[in-house]
Amino acid sequence: MTATHSQQGPALPAAGGIGRWLAETLTTRPSFSSYFAPFMQYWQPGWSTHAWRAAVMQIRSELSDVYSLVLKPDSRWAGFVAGQYVQLTVEKDGAFCTRTFSISSSPAHWQTTGLIELTIREQVGGRITPWLRQHLHANSVVNISAAQGEFTLQQVPEHRPLLLIAGGSGLTPLHSMLQQLSSEVSAREVHLLVYARDSQHFLFQQALLGYETSLSNLSIQWMDSEQVGFIDESHLQPLQRLLECDVFVCGPSPMIKAARDALRVLHVADERVHFEYFGAAPLDRVAQLDASRVVQFSRSQHVLDVAQASNQSLLEMAEQSGLNPVSGCRIGVCHQCICQKERGVVLNTRTGEYSDTGPEEIQLCLSVPVTDVVVSL
Amino acid sequence: MTTTVMNRGNTVLVPAPAKAGGHVTIRPDDATLDAFAEELDALRAETMSKVGQKDADYIRRVIRWQRGLDMGGRVVMLVGFLSPLWWTGLFGVLMLAIAKILDNMEIGHNVMHGQYDWMNDPNINSRDFEWDNVGDANSWKRYHNHEHHTYTNIIGKDRDYGYGILRLSDDIAWRPRNLYQFFMYLKLSLLFEFGVAYHELAGERIFFGKKKKNSQLPISREELKQAFFRKIRRQTFKDYVFYPLLCFPVLVPVLLGNLAANLIRNLWTSTVIFCGHFTESAHTFRAEDCEQETRGQWYFRQILGSSNFEGPRWLHILSGHLSCQVEHHLFPDVPAYHYPEMAKTVEQICQRYGIPYNTGSFARQYWTVLQRIVRYSFPTRRELANA
Repeated sequence: MTATHSQQGPALPAAGGIGRWLAETLTTRPSFSSYFAPFMQYWQPGWSTHAWRAAVMQIRSELSDVYSLVLKPDSRWAGFVAGQYVQLTVEKDGAFCTRTFSISSSPAHWQTTGLIELTIREQVGGRITPWLRQHLHANSVVNISAAQGEFTLQQVPEHRPLLLIAGGSGLTPLHSMLQQLSSEVSAREVHLLVYARDSQHFLFQQALLGYETSLSNLSIQWMDSEQVGFIDESHLQPLQRLLECDVFVCGPSPMIKAARDALRVLHVADERVHFEYFGAAPLDRVAQLDASRVVQFSRSQHVLDVAQASNQSLLEMAEQSGLNPVSGCRIGVCHQCICQKERGVVLNTRTGEYSDTGPEEIQLCLSVPVTDVVVSL
Repeated sequence: MTTTVMNRGNTVLVPAPAKAGGHVTIRPDDATLDAFAEELDALRAETMSKVGQKDADYIRRVIRWQRGLDMGGRVVMLVGFLSPLWWTGLFGVLMLAIAKILDNMEIGHNVMHGQYDWMNDPNINSRDFEWDNVGDANSWKRYHNHEHHTYTNIIGKDRDYGYGILRLSDDIAWRPRNLYQFFMYLKLSLLFEFGVAYHELAGERIFFGKKKKNSQLPISREELKQAFFRKIRRQTFKDYVFYPLLCFPVLVPVLLGNLAANLIRNLWTSTVIFCGHFTESAHTFRAEDCEQETRGQWYFRQILGSSNFEGPRWLHILSGHLSCQVEHHLFPDVPAYHYPEMAKTVEQICQRYGIPYNTGSFARQYWTVLQRIVRYSFPTRRELANA
C-alpha cells in the first residue's frame, strides 16, 4: 500500500501503477504473482515472490566447520560484482529463514559455468548455518536475493595497488576478487594478509596458492593468530607502498576495528580503507547509554526495563517479550522488520546514527534503545 | 497479538461478580487463578512447540481453495447464466460466497491476528494482509486486536459488545429504540462488512458527534477517512463494475450474483461472531474488573465472555475456528487450526477449577443469541417502574 495511491482519489492511477492498482483491487494482494504464490509453492516448496530460485549443485567441505554451497541461480538472476553478497532464504519448519553471505566465487566463474559459491562457517549453536549443511543436498532449491553491497573493486581506481586483509571466513568476498583478477590474468600489485585462528583454519589455501602463479604481482602472508596474535601495526608496517594502497578489510567486527586503528596509526587515509562487517556492526561505538531505560511495545502493552549496559536490539527484546514481529536477515539488510517507533531515541548499530526523538520507521534488528522508547508492536 | 500482562501489587481485589443474563459467577481467588493460568500457559507452550511445516502447508492449502473457489465461482456464474440452464449460475454464487468466507475468516482474521507471522512469508503476515470485504484491514487491526481482545465484553469499553446498536445486557439503560432492535440486528447482519469498515470511524467520531478526547489514532483523521472510502471504492469496482462488465452479456445476473455472495458472507460472519459473545450465558464485565488484572484473571474474563459452538470440521473452518471463540480469546496468536484440539484440554481444566465453559451445538447457541436480542429489547421491571 503506497502513499501515492491514497492521494489519487477515485481517478485511475497513472500508467505503470495500473497493474498494481488492478492487482490490489481485484485480488487484495499487491501483485498477481503474490495472489498465485500459494499455487507456485505447491509445485515448488519455498517459492517466493521476493527472490530468485537457485539450485544446490554441491555442498563442499572446506574446513571442519566451513563448507561451500555451489548454487546455480535462475537464469533471470542479474549477476554480481566480486565482493558483493546475497541473502539466502530457505524454508525451515514452515518458516522462511534468511541469512546473508558473501559470494566467494568470481563473476567470471559464474559467466562460464552459471554457478556461484557461498562459503559458510557453521555458527556454534546457530539456528541456520548447521541446518543448511545437514538438510540441503544436491538438487535442493533455495532462494537468493539480487547481489548487493559496495565492498567491491569498482570503488577504487584500477592502477593502484591493493592491500587485502581477511579475518577467518571474512576471506570469502576477497577470494571472489582474487579469483576474478586471476581469470583476467591481471598484473595488479596485490598483497593479501590472511588471518586464521590457527594453522588448521586457513581457508582456500590451495586455491590461493594457485593464484600466485596466475597473478604475477600477488603476495600472500599467512597469519596464524596462535603465532602472531591479533592484527596490529607491526604486521602492516613492513609493507612497502602501504600509503599508495587501497585497503579492503573483511572479518569479524573486533578484527576490523583493530585493523582500522592500526591503519590510522600508520597514516593511511580513512577514505582509502574499505571494510565489510560480517554481522551487525559492533556496539562499541555506542558512546553512552542512559542509565535506566524503559521500552514499551504499545500495541501489546508489554513494558520492559532495560538493564544499564544492555545493547540488545529491539527485535531481540520484542521476541523475549513473546512478541513475534516479522523479521528476516536480522542484520539490517532485508528491511522486513521495519516498524513504527512512536517516540524516543534509538541507535542504528549499522550506521552509528542516533534517531530523531519523534515517530519514524526503524529497523528493529539494528535499533538499540538509547532513551525510553515506545514502539508500535 | 493482544495478550495483556499486567503486574499487580499485593493488594487483594474483591472478587468481582461477572454477570450473564440473570446469574452471577464469582471470581475464584488469586492463588487458584494463578494455578489456572499456569495450566493454560503450559497448554499454549505445548501447542506452540508443535507449530511448524504442517501449519504452513495447511494455511497455504486453505488459500489455494479460496483462490480456486474465487476464480471458479466467477467462471461458473458466467457460464451458468449464459447457458439455457441459467440457475446453474447459482452454484457460482455459492462458490464465490464460500471463497469470501474463507478469505475473511480462516485466512484473513487469523493471519491478521499474527497467527502465521512466524512463517516470514511476505504474503501471509499480519503487517500487510488485506481481505476481500469493504473494511480496511489496517483499521480493523487497530481496533479489533486491541480494543476488543483486551476489553472483551466490558460494557462501555468493548464497542464490539452490541456495536452501539443493540442492547444485550441490563448494564445498558433501556431506550425506546431497543424495541425494534431485532430489525436493527437483521440489518446489521446483512450489512456486516460495512459495520466492520465503519467501526473505527464511529469510535473516532469522524463524521458525526464530538471529536473523541484522548484519541490514540496513529494516523490522521483525514487518512482514516481516505482509507475507508478507498477500500469501499475498490470493492465496489471489483464486484459491481469490473466483473459484471467482463461478463457483459449477463451483466445484471453477475452483478446480482456478486451482491448475493457478499450478503451471504455478511450473514454468515455476523452469525458466527454473535455466537461467540452474545449467547445466553456469555458474561459481561465492568471497567474496574480489568484494572490491575493478573494473567489468571484475564484468562478467567476471556473464558466467561466467550462461547463456543460444536460441529463438523468444515463448520470450524468456515467459521475461521471462531467456533472455538474461547480458545481464540485465550490464545489469539496460536494458529487457529489447533483450537479444536486445545478446546478439549481447556474444557477439562475449566471443569477442574469450576469455571463455567460455554459450549453447545451451533443451532442451540444461535437460538440463545436470538432470544437474548429479543429479551433485551424490553426494559427490566425496575426500569419500567421508574419510567
